[in-house]
Amino acid sequence: MSQTLERSPEAPRSSETKRSREPLLDRMPQWIALVLVGGGGLLVWQLIVSLELVSRILLPGPPETFGEIINSALGIVQGDYVFEALWITTQEVVLGFIAAAAVGFVLGVVVGETRFGQKAIMPYLVGFNALPKVAFAPVFAAWLGFGINSKIIMALFIAFFPVIVDTAAGLASVDRDAVMLFRSVGASRWQTLVKLKLPNALPFIFAGLKTAAVFSVVGAVVGEYLGGGNGLGELIRLSAQQLRLDRVFALIFYLSLIGLALFGLMSWLERRFVFWRKPELLDITTVA
Amino acid sequence: MTTEVSRLGSEIAAGSSKDLLRAEGVTKTFPARDLRALDPIDLRIRSGEFVTMIGPSGCGKSTLLKIMAGLLPATDGRVVLDGRPVVGPRTDVGIMFQQATLLPWRTALENVMLPIEIRHGARAAKSMRQDAVEVLNSVGLDEFEKVYPHELSGGMAQRVAICRMLVTQPSVLLLDEPFGALDELTRDHMNEELQRICEARNATAFMVTHSIPEAVFLADRVVVMSARPGCISDEIEVKLARPRTLDMTTREEFGKIVRKVRSKLDLGGQR
Repeated sequence: MSQTLERSPEAPRSSETKRSREPLLDRMPQWIALVLVGGGGLLVWQLIVSLELVSRILLPGPPETFGEIINSALGIVQGDYVFEALWITTQEVVLGFIAAAAVGFVLGVVVGETRFGQKAIMPYLVGFNALPKVAFAPVFAAWLGFGINSKIIMALFIAFFPVIVDTAAGLASVDRDAVMLFRSVGASRWQTLVKLKLPNALPFIFAGLKTAAVFSVVGAVVGEYLGGGNGLGELIRLSAQQLRLDRVFALIFYLSLIGLALFGLMSWLERRFVFWRKPELLDITTVA
Repeated sequence: MTTEVSRLGSEIAAGSSKDLLRAEGVTKTFPARDLRALDPIDLRIRSGEFVTMIGPSGCGKSTLLKIMAGLLPATDGRVVLDGRPVVGPRTDVGIMFQQATLLPWRTALENVMLPIEIRHGARAAKSMRQDAVEVLNSVGLDEFEKVYPHELSGGMAQRVAICRMLVTQPSVLLLDEPFGALDELTRDHMNEELQRICEARNATAFMVTHSIPEAVFLADRVVVMSARPGCISDEIEVKLARPRTLDMTTREEFGKIVRKVRSKLDLGGQR
């Protein structure tokens, strides 16, 4: 990550003349541009609060919000109830994600590799994907209670579909000549799957896993909003009821860290295992 | 590698005029598309012979090659290799496509060993490592064992593909426009290389191509195919001395054969 950030201002030295014709905004190093946009956003936020365009109760300013983030950080370090809520939600997200990855991968292989799966299972999955899955949260709460199980299932429920689709698409993306080559050397179906199609599908599978990482946070939080419990979602709901929006923002910040961490882990694994594909500059993983 | 040369040598001693690969009345129809791709094809390739096949695109030459490789069933007729009918992929057939189709997650050497690994398992592949290294060396890829395909040029990638084809010591090489995706200069160079390899091994080869000079340069015999449905319209012996050099391609005798093939090809197209 830091490589692209550091190299970009140096590389163009050789073509100075052409470069200087580009607008200033396009010429600046990425980190300055990032700070510029981020700072601009904060400025607008502060202005809205300072000019009292919105009531301070409904929209706390950046200082209050960051103060609350630090406040919560101290609480988390000391292991108070925010820490407990964070830990519970983290468990829900991670277990939901693992379940989604496993179920999604297996179904993805079945759907992508067998004609039966394609004909008889995929249509149901597509239909399933069209359901408003969030609406099932109370069902899982009724079935599994208000503990973490109903949230894990909710996270799984929301996150597994992209893994199926991407795994199946990855298997289908295989080069036909490569399949022909495998046939010509007498490879079995299993060998073709394991030695050719699955490695070839890895970039797709990781794309699905990254989507699932973000979706599983959504699933866990929706589960908490609608199914109670002691996680971050429940804390957020209570804080909002008390109109403590600085808390709400701080808690959402920590909530997004769970998803980001999971996403970052997947990006890291992808770079390790899909070493033959150079990440593109605009790829979101290089920024994350 | 010496064992292979002696094996091929003994085959030749057994009867050099013997046909190693025969297509007997091979036809192909694709009923789904109501398409007759091949009219009955009869083709004989002698041991140690290099035969090239040239024809307009869509004339069915790739289809014929796939049938000969056992990758596609013939509708009628049969292919006989080394006295046994070809009914599926065979271990004594080496095949190469227009794209190198190297696996990007495997090093050059691991790609070369892939056919052994698939047929005989990882342990066999490991024990054959030295042979694979030698094959790589023989095409000038001495230092490239541990290099991954994305670091190789198009020509080098095709060399690795050649090695992958040779490592199982096939008795016949089937080449489907192997250098069609390369630039002209690299292609000329690879053709010289292929000739050298085939000479050194006294290999039997059947190659499909779009390029008349390439077909003439490599061949002992050029087979001309016409389209829709594909059938063999002519055969031209190429009696140029070997090893042939790129320099020879500018000479009159070479040009004469190229013109001859071209005229047959045009006639074939009009039929």
